Amino acid sequence: MSHLLLFLVYFVVPLLLLVIAFFGGNAIALNHNKRLEARQQLVDHIRITDLKGYIRPQPGRCTPGLFCAEITLGIDHFRGFLGKLKNILGGEVKSYEKTLDRARREAILQVMEQAHAAGMNAVTNLRLEFVDISGNANRAKKAAMVTIMAYGTGYCSEQDARDAITG
Amino acid sequence: MIVVNTESLPGYEIIQSLGIVQGNVVRAKHMGRDIAASFKNIVGGELKGYTELLTEARRDASSRMIAQAEELGADAVMNVRFSTSAITQGAAELYVYGTAVKLAAIEADEPRPAVEGIPPPLPTSQEVPRG
Repeated sequence: MSHLLLFLVYFVVPLLLLVIAFFGGNAIALNHNKRLEARQQLVDHIRITDLKGYIRPQPGRCTPGLFCAEITLGIDHFRGFLGKLKNILGGEVKSYEKTLDRARREAILQVMEQAHAAGMNAVTNLRLEFVDISGNANRAKKAAMVTIMAYGTGYCSEQDARDAITG
Repeated sequence: MIVVNTESLPGYEIIQSLGIVQGNVVRAKHMGRDIAASFKNIVGGELKGYTELLTEARRDASSRMIAQAEELGADAVMNVRFSTSAITQGAAELYVYGTAVKLAAIEADEPRPAVEGIPPPLPTSQEVPRG
């Protein structure tokens, strides 16, 4: 009886968690990527740069303003487990890269959407920052999560702003 | 109040710098959120509790900075930067700072392009009326 209990606690439950995390995590990531793709289409015309200045601004049309967005994504149990395994041998941890990438995309997209909603067609001086909420990055036992903050200045630009960059 | 993170503002010139204004907020999350997040983290995805925490912190910090700027009688806060730090395990700090300035609008009479996409020709010496 006690053997069965031990078997359940130390083997079946963690394995079940990993399986749930694998399928659940995959579904969530795929869904998010699809939604990102669809939302990207709507704001694709916005010129987004990390330059410090403005490209062909139209001061009369609108007043520039700051837009910020933040997002926290959790790294699922399965990928966290893979990451820990990878940590033994070292090397590239792809599952973490993908989550970070997704978080950055989401944050940038939110900034673009805010600028679009304010009637602007360009964002300049975009900055991305990694936020460590409550020192989670240093907590070895907890599953990892990433928080990304993006901010930039939205403004109105002339239509051919992209041409102005290339010359 | 105009708030931007660029060094200049099209259509305006800075006539007076009023110094640095800042706002900081240290926020902690309650344990309920922590527990809910750890469950959500099994499958990953967005942890809304933490996103909200940060959004609220950013709003509070920004409004403090803007209040300071208003006290100084500024028209805009420029070159705004955000900075965060994890002080202890229970709290996150969000710090926002920028330069408060007074602005004056420039009367712009730059030539507008006649054809969309083609910049207007630069004024040359030939166009200067002689004698």
